[in-house]
Amino acid sequence: MLFSSIPFLFYFIPCMMLVYFLVPAKCKNAVLLAFSIFFYAWGGVTYALLMILAIVMGYAAGLLIERYRGTGKAKAIMMIAVAAIISFMLYFKYTDFFIENFNRLTGLAIPLLRITLPIGISFYTFQIISYVVDVYRGVPAQKNPIYLGAYVSMFPQLIAGPIVRYVDVAKELDERTHTTAEAAAGIRRFMMGLAKKILIANPLSELSNIALASDEPSVLFYWIYGISVALYIYFDFSGYSDMAIGLGRVFGFHFLENFNYPFISKSATEFWRRWHMSLGSWFRDYVYIPMGGNRVPKWRWLFNIFVVWLLTGFWHGAAWNFIIWGLFFGVLLTIEKLWLLKHLEKSRIWSRIYLLFAVMVSFIVFNAADMPDAFATIGGLFGAGGIPLVSAQSLYYLRSYAIIFVLALVGATPVVKNLAGKLSESPKTGKIINVLEPIVLISLLLVITGYLVDGSFNPFLYFRF
Amino acid sequence: MNNKIKNHVVIISMAVLVAVLSVLCFFGPKPDFLDAERRDPAAFPELSVDSIMKDGAEYSDSFMSKFETYSLDTFPFRDFFRTVKAICANYIFGQMDNNNIFIADGYAAEMQESISDESLEHAAERITFIYEQFLKDKGIKPYLSIIPDKAYFIAEESGHLSMDYDAFVSRMTDSLSFAEYIDIFPTLSLEDYYKTDTHWRQEQLGDTAKLLAESMGVPYSGEFDVHLLDHPFYGVYYGQAALPMPAEDMYYLTSPTWQDLKVYDYQNNREISVYDMEKAVGKDPYDMYLSGELSKVTIENPDALTDKELVIFRDSFGRSIIPLLADSYAKITVIDIRYIPNSAFLGSWVDFENQDVLFLYSTLVLNQSSEMK
Repeated sequence: MLFSSIPFLFYFIPCMMLVYFLVPAKCKNAVLLAFSIFFYAWGGVTYALLMILAIVMGYAAGLLIERYRGTGKAKAIMMIAVAAIISFMLYFKYTDFFIENFNRLTGLAIPLLRITLPIGISFYTFQIISYVVDVYRGVPAQKNPIYLGAYVSMFPQLIAGPIVRYVDVAKELDERTHTTAEAAAGIRRFMMGLAKKILIANPLSELSNIALASDEPSVLFYWIYGISVALYIYFDFSGYSDMAIGLGRVFGFHFLENFNYPFISKSATEFWRRWHMSLGSWFRDYVYIPMGGNRVPKWRWLFNIFVVWLLTGFWHGAAWNFIIWGLFFGVLLTIEKLWLLKHLEKSRIWSRIYLLFAVMVSFIVFNAADMPDAFATIGGLFGAGGIPLVSAQSLYYLRSYAIIFVLALVGATPVVKNLAGKLSESPKTGKIINVLEPIVLISLLLVITGYLVDGSFNPFLYFRF
Repeated sequence: MNNKIKNHVVIISMAVLVAVLSVLCFFGPKPDFLDAERRDPAAFPELSVDSIMKDGAEYSDSFMSKFETYSLDTFPFRDFFRTVKAICANYIFGQMDNNNIFIADGYAAEMQESISDESLEHAAERITFIYEQFLKDKGIKPYLSIIPDKAYFIAEESGHLSMDYDAFVSRMTDSLSFAEYIDIFPTLSLEDYYKTDTHWRQEQLGDTAKLLAESMGVPYSGEFDVHLLDHPFYGVYYGQAALPMPAEDMYYLTSPTWQDLKVYDYQNNREISVYDMEKAVGKDPYDMYLSGELSKVTIENPDALTDKELVIFRDSFGRSIIPLLADSYAKITVIDIRYIPNSAFLGSWVDFENQDVLFLYSTLVLNQSSEMK
């Protein structure tokens, strides 16, 4: 089920809220679990059974690790559990990719299994892995299977993150408070995320599709495509994270931030400290540091970076363009760490131009059907194939989407947030902001409902991961 | 308002709005027909173990997927919300079209970005088939006329995308060189079209009908009585654009020579009138002209100015102009090859012998011709 859908907003959420806030505190996790499984099963009942199986495995592994803590058995159980969970993901997400490439290498024609990817499998498997490893590292195992089930399957973050660590919500699973201040802040955050998705990301996605499918290709159209794809991916994914964090607050949970205005970064290194932070920190804590991080010989350190970025790319999808996308950042980060970073720090303008161009190119690769498609698009940015600079279509769509473009560009920076913060702090303007806030939120909900009712174009990009 | 009160207001106002709409979603009345969009809403999907268990490639057939469509189609105040979206997209976000429909000078039109080569080829292939199968050996040289859609008159000057209409016509006339082309573009202007609909206005088509008649060598009387339909007309773009537009007046013409006119609907084997007054107050009033989407209709006028016969292959635009030719021909056979199984059957429907034959199609249909059979 999509957050940005009529069934979620006007069927699921009202029922869920009603039951959740009516039942006593000790039953809230059970309600959360039941509704989360319903939420997930809406996208496919068999997938929900698969997720329940993964939760049971994680739960059993946690208890066994705790039981054998301090012995070799604990490590063996942890490794078996992690391998089992990873094999889960490998089977459902990567089998056809491996068969396809094996066929290419050997010339064989082993038929593809055509396995449908269960939505959000990459997110919940990573959460279960982090739970099992954290228990092995000393975190007390969760004894109540409902509580662990509620943590893994919690619908706000289940299918598109952020990747919530068990340790970050363990206390709130046991005991949490629900206040009007938190609920109002959660609603505000949810609505901002919904607006980012519906009013900015979806139109930009439409624009990028129009630009790429145009029968009048031009340099301007390729730039419109590159910029709109980068902004679309950001607003789509960060919008979802905002909604997840907002819903979490309504239910008394505090998830860590997942984005921090990545487009204002001055280097790829900084970009990845601001982009999909929960994934970056996951790879850091469960792959990079266990491999030795940077406290190893230089060749090994470079190898560690290579592995982490190979996996980061591969995590995003079973296709070569995702692997190349990950390695592209691996190479950039290596170059920056070895040489470029000190030069980038000297120029605020050039460093940003470099970063924005690199990110745009990376997202062209990310969003491409395959690598030849990506190279063709990148070539189009520079007029490859003798295409004209502009076309009537490109000018029309630039005009038609100009305001959305400007809103997206401004919204990708902290300008609005900082301004709203300053205005709220002032006693005079703070009162006006307080009056305006409910009006803006209600208006947003009406407009967004209009967009949902009118259109059927509403896919979430990160569901496929 | 302090923060504490604001938080309460936020929670209560949002909760009330969501709760009211939610209750209406669950228990509110459901529409039988979506008037603005001229279609039936999706029905409540079948709830069964089988429909719930569908996933993967079959997910679009699942209860869940179909319920999403149902929930959109039956959402309370659907038209209001679609209008809110259209106003926001057009006037706040400055988007120049909404669902590919734009409004300029009070006229709603569909943006025609480009010529579909595939579609034009298909249309030409179907028309050529009819010519070679039924007309060529009989020595009949058909006429071809193309009706410009409204965007031809306003798209370019209002800054919207517009296809190359000259190239469009050239491509069709080149492909159908066996036909004599009657250029009706100069007889038409924007005012000849409805503001809220795709179609042209019957009462404005005198010059066009006269040109067609004279080009085919028959006299044209042009003497008609104009009647105002006592029913507000909202065209198809009204619903698609979802923007507030006023209702329009709709007119229809009759001739004093139509006393003994006989109109026959072969699809339903019944005698009908030139104008179906039940449809005139129905979901699509434009269907009043020759009773809407029918595959074969004949119009016989014993008081016509000639004893000649005409066979017209047409789309929905043709329905309103054909009555204006009823004084010129003793018999008109009207064929819509979109509503027949295959043009190969035409030989058993029409005895092609000594008639004028006119292919009269709009750019809209030619550019999306997959339904021409």
